[in-house]
Amino acid sequence: MRELLVMKNITKKFGDIYANKDINLIIREGEVHTLLGENGAGKSTLMNILIGLYQPTSGSIYYRGKKVKIDSPSKAMKLGIGMVHQHFMLVEAMTVFENIILGVTKDSSIFIKKDRIKKDILELASKYGLNVEIDKPITEISVGEQQRVEILKALYRGAELLILDEPTAALTDIEVEGLFRVIKKLISEKKSVVFISHKMREVLEISDRITILRMGHTIKTLDKNKTNAEELAALMIGKKMVSSKYKKVSKTKENIIALEHISFNKESKHNGIKDISLTVGKGEILGIAGVDGNGQSQLAQVVTGVITPHEGNIYLYGKKVAQFDPNDFINSNISHIPEDRNKMGLIGDMSVKENLILKSIEKSKFSLKKGLFLKKKIINQYSNEMKKKYDIRCSSIDQEVRNLSGGNQQKIVLARELEMEPELLVAVHPTRGLDIGATKYVHDKIISARDKGCGVILISADFDEILKLSDRIAVMFEGQIVGIYSGDNPPIDEISLAMAGKAE
Amino acid sequence: METVFDIIFIQELLLSTVRMATPILIVALAELYSERAGLVNIGLDGIMTFGALSGFLICYITGNPYLGILAGAISGILINMIYAFCTIHLGAEQIVYGMAINIFAPALASFIYKIYFGISSTLVQATLMKTVPIPILNKIPVLGVVFFNHTPIVYIAYLLVPLTYVFFSKTKLGLNYKAIGEFPKAAESMGINVMLNKYIACIICGILAGIGGAYLTTAYISTYSDGVVAGRGFIALSAVIFGRWMPGGVLLAALLFGFTDALQLRLQVMSSGTPYQLLAMIPYLSTLFVLAFFGIKKAGPKANGKPYFREER
Repeated sequence: MRELLVMKNITKKFGDIYANKDINLIIREGEVHTLLGENGAGKSTLMNILIGLYQPTSGSIYYRGKKVKIDSPSKAMKLGIGMVHQHFMLVEAMTVFENIILGVTKDSSIFIKKDRIKKDILELASKYGLNVEIDKPITEISVGEQQRVEILKALYRGAELLILDEPTAALTDIEVEGLFRVIKKLISEKKSVVFISHKMREVLEISDRITILRMGHTIKTLDKNKTNAEELAALMIGKKMVSSKYKKVSKTKENIIALEHISFNKESKHNGIKDISLTVGKGEILGIAGVDGNGQSQLAQVVTGVITPHEGNIYLYGKKVAQFDPNDFINSNISHIPEDRNKMGLIGDMSVKENLILKSIEKSKFSLKKGLFLKKKIINQYSNEMKKKYDIRCSSIDQEVRNLSGGNQQKIVLARELEMEPELLVAVHPTRGLDIGATKYVHDKIISARDKGCGVILISADFDEILKLSDRIAVMFEGQIVGIYSGDNPPIDEISLAMAGKAE
Repeated sequence: METVFDIIFIQELLLSTVRMATPILIVALAELYSERAGLVNIGLDGIMTFGALSGFLICYITGNPYLGILAGAISGILINMIYAFCTIHLGAEQIVYGMAINIFAPALASFIYKIYFGISSTLVQATLMKTVPIPILNKIPVLGVVFFNHTPIVYIAYLLVPLTYVFFSKTKLGLNYKAIGEFPKAAESMGINVMLNKYIACIICGILAGIGGAYLTTAYISTYSDGVVAGRGFIALSAVIFGRWMPGGVLLAALLFGFTDALQLRLQVMSSGTPYQLLAMIPYLSTLFVLAFFGIKKAGPKANGKPYFREER
């Protein structure tokens, strides 16, 4: 196979920090090449250089044997490089059609020749099996379809090299299968794909070759057939991973929380819950499995007092909850790791230490007169302790939280929530976007909280995570609980079917 | 009193509405072009004032109101480039720099006027732009007088509405332009030059806002005095919000404000007993009222008012 793209000694500095250092990468024609690496390994930076959004500090790029300077995305597009970003670059106020033709100058006409262009796009779409509703606004189509629009957008611009940045992160299993079919089709048409992911199973399924990045360096490029998951994981995190297996416990009699026929917004299949009854006991993890957007967010908000259910009752420690108020729930020792740490879990512009004490600010430990005067010395001392205990990597406890990596941000949330010694922990997608090391850390912490007697509701779209941690597994589909299974040797096939809405 | 509301009165009222709405319409379109590219420019009033001064000055010197309009356009661009450089290149807060223009430009205009004409109590007069009736159409009863007997600037202002509509909804450039106000990073990744388009937006905004100011001193009244703009820039700003960032909506909003302005002038003449200050408040009160009830921010471009940096992590 011929070489399509060569990146040679690419270095990119942000301030004093090297995001990429002497990176070498060769992409061949007609291959799926995976970039594998933890968060912050430099994958996204490297790809942003390739599509001209960032300029490398040094190094050179060759495309089809010729040295090129990619100083803007339009230059990359002219060369035939297209990218589907992890966070889609779609204008929500516009339709699918408008998004696809945005910025395209294929003919010289001033006006948009709608019918002709539409025909072209639909032909292209059917050639690669990219099913899209061309006249719908972006806001009205699913995430999977939005991704197909992104791919179509790149192909319509004549992309030969398609970069897919974490394309499976937000997809359901069925959508992932569809995506892989499209990728295979692209390869059969001699196009090349750069696939960015850290999901081992997918990487081994779809890639031809795999390049591992770590801390901004290229570690190795491997042939898929000559490697395995263990080797890849070891290269990726730089030390041998011990595949962790947690022991499962059976449910205790003592309930911490009990939900009775809870409904909220029950007409909605995706943003509501319908007639949910479940219990969580002391020292057990109840995993809520399900494809994203089947009411999990609403369930999490109900059990943390953020929203008031329209129907049904909740009993905390055997007592009926009269009023839904997050503050009351916090005071009843319920901790919450919210689904979106940037929006709900942390205040990005505030420092590490301020975020650490957010929920305990009124306690006499940190302040006098219920938060009127802060005990600065004690707060600093406590924050430094937490920094050490939870291995929060920051330059100081006064650093702004938004400048930290996702993993370290999540550690702050964990420290804050677990140090309150909760009796119930509601963890929603606790490891979303985290790398293997940070994920293992979070898992260990959740397990140790359970072992101390804390009840845990774990909501996650990552099925592996649910299987690994849960003592019992409840499956959510269209706002309802469609099955509850034991977490010890769970019937995986049956659960998968239930998640897809096909429970018997 | 019965004769007051006859056909002539209504005709005059509507004619005046169209005339009064013109500067607001032009300047509101200026803001529309700016905000569609994600730049909230509250400095319209300042740009207008400076356009009014330079338009008047050139008109006075050359005796040609059209050269005055041209001068207004050019000076509008120049003033707006301060805003453009600070907000686009330096990523400064748009509201702050808009406000800076509002403080700086009128003061500069007043300064130049005083240097040129000295401090005197009599207002200097310049040539006023003549109306150019459109043949045949102006013979239509009532409508002919209301719509087809104006200065060319008025016709251009109203023609800009359908042109703007076509630009934004039917052309490639317009689609690309809108994307910048919605999601600049996506636009950039699609090969659209965001910086360039933002500067173009500021140039268009400067031209139109400058013309809007110059219109006041060359085609509406023939003098310049401090405060001649009288907050019309801010009314135009609210016309964009009320018009839901759409050219047709902006036109309706401008006509509404033009109508209240025309109405209050007539009420002043008719009811001599009422203090005129009270009646002069009507257009501003209606602006407040309209914004309070219809000023929904949601409808606007998503990235409106936010600075854009390509290499932001």
